[in-house]
Amino acid sequence: MAERTLVKRSFLDQLALHLSWNRLLFALGFFIFIAMILFPFYWMVSSSFKSGAEIAGRAPVYFPSSLQLDAYRELFDPASPHFQNFSKNILNSILISVPTALLAVILSTMGSYAIARLTFKGRGFMLNSILIVYLFPGILLIIPLFALLSQLGNSLGFQVQDNLNVLMLTYLAQTLPVALYMLTNYFHTIPVEIEEAALIDGCSRLQVIWRVTLPLAIPALVTVGIYTFMIAWNEFLYAFVFLNDRSMFTMPIKLNTIFNDPSPRPNVVMAASTIMTLPVIVLFLAFERFLTQGLTAGGVKG
Amino acid sequence: MATSSTSRRKLLNFKHSLAASEARLAWWLILPTVLIVFGLVLFPAFFSIWISFHDVGLKNLNDVFHAPWVGLDNYRLVFNDFAFKFESLQNWGAAVTTVVYSVLSTIFVLLIGLLAALLLNRKFIGRGIARGIFLFPYIAPVVSVAFVWRWLLDPRPSGVLNHILISLGLLENARAFLATRGLAIWLVILFQAWRYFPFAMLMLLARLQAIDEALYEAASVDGASIWQKFLFITLPELRYVMGAIFLLRLLWTFNKFDDIWLLTGGGYGTNVLPVLTFQFSFGSFDFGKGSATAMIQLVALILFLAIYASTVMRQSGE
Repeated sequence: MAERTLVKRSFLDQLALHLSWNRLLFALGFFIFIAMILFPFYWMVSSSFKSGAEIAGRAPVYFPSSLQLDAYRELFDPASPHFQNFSKNILNSILISVPTALLAVILSTMGSYAIARLTFKGRGFMLNSILIVYLFPGILLIIPLFALLSQLGNSLGFQVQDNLNVLMLTYLAQTLPVALYMLTNYFHTIPVEIEEAALIDGCSRLQVIWRVTLPLAIPALVTVGIYTFMIAWNEFLYAFVFLNDRSMFTMPIKLNTIFNDPSPRPNVVMAASTIMTLPVIVLFLAFERFLTQGLTAGGVKG
Repeated sequence: MATSSTSRRKLLNFKHSLAASEARLAWWLILPTVLIVFGLVLFPAFFSIWISFHDVGLKNLNDVFHAPWVGLDNYRLVFNDFAFKFESLQNWGAAVTTVVYSVLSTIFVLLIGLLAALLLNRKFIGRGIARGIFLFPYIAPVVSVAFVWRWLLDPRPSGVLNHILISLGLLENARAFLATRGLAIWLVILFQAWRYFPFAMLMLLARLQAIDEALYEAASVDGASIWQKFLFITLPELRYVMGAIFLLRLLWTFNKFDDIWLLTGGGYGTNVLPVLTFQFSFGSFDFGKGSATAMIQLVALILFLAIYASTVMRQSGE
């Protein structure tokens, strides 16, 4: 009997030790954070599977009774009464963000290698003036860009509005400075001696870059590629101004259009949001280790 | 003697030509970036100054370079616009709102980011996954998260926040939260905090993990409480990172257009300078006035940076 109470007591003691105020507070704080972060995402995904009736009800439906595909049908099924042809918008977004990412990686690799490794006049000035871009509000540049490109388009005979190439060029201008900064930092961490050894062995500069430096920089290149992809994928303002034709809309602009439709259909908005968010989250989780390092090193503008 | 001097000259020449060819290569490598950044950022920025002194509208957009000079008229129009200047405590105007909005959001981002960093600095099972999840709001597209929050704050009784508050008896009738003057500005500030705290968290976490454990052990030996350790070890160690985060986030929030445009469209006391610039330029198609607004914003930013560099940075340098 006495033995039993002893055992019980020690168990309670252990429990009390385990549940100290400190731990309780920690668990509580952690729970609140996770709930505040995940609930909107849960709401986005779950709402995309609700039927029109569940959306328009008097009380919110926290747990949809079944997976209704009404919203997705409206986005993709031509037979649906409000067919949105969303696959075209997905395609536009891919057509603009993938080339932006690839070009940003190629151009910034070239540029940052020059800044990090080669000595030339005006290097510091160059880096500083490119970094000044951090200062300029996107909204400040869009007016002169719009005026300038309209003028240029008129005399050279290309359309500025609804031209994905023009839009891509403006995305490049916005992402190149960040990419350049991140890659320059990374090249500084690669020991010069490795390259010098290759130079002494008779490689030319370009061979050194191609055979030695680039393979070592692959993690940084992936990081820059994914960042610029995400920036172009998520971008709203420039696409909003430069795109007018529904068939040219990227996903963010299309989402805005569906949201502002006179008859609100939040489940469709949430379905489109889910489709747009999913690739970003998957990419991020797949390359999380690289990306968080890049975030702290480069401070990606956003 | 002569041979050695010629060979030295040859070597020098060789070195010289090597340096020259390296410089040439460097210029070729960086040229595309320079062309794009100068052509599409720096040149437009200067062109924007020009536009702000001219009358540019839809009518002469195709012939901008012949737009009539109007001097300071655009600036005068902006400064006298009721949407820009401070009118009353009920109607702040975009200039004051922008400052309040960016400073308060930045402070909230910093505080919540610090809290999150302290939570994640503890060792527990699943910390890596938790850190990934904590970053979701920052990496998700702004359009999707803004619309989710708009729907959570829906004015109908079926909106989640309305439903919760009504069920708890805290609210009698459904309210349009984002369309309530005085409340809307706080909601967009909280949205900013929700969306951008992960950025502060990540930078702070990196710094926290670099703090020498020996400092805490020494403090424990001296009998310091957790709170004292936080106050006298952790905070001083974080000071510079916090300063950097504060500056970066303040700049970016000050220039931010998307978040407020998507949440309120700049209505109900949430109008900020970037949104006002957009409304002048693409709402009423007065590009001169829009450019003037953007220039005022840029000048304010540069002035702030100059003051910051000459006071705060000098202080911390001493």
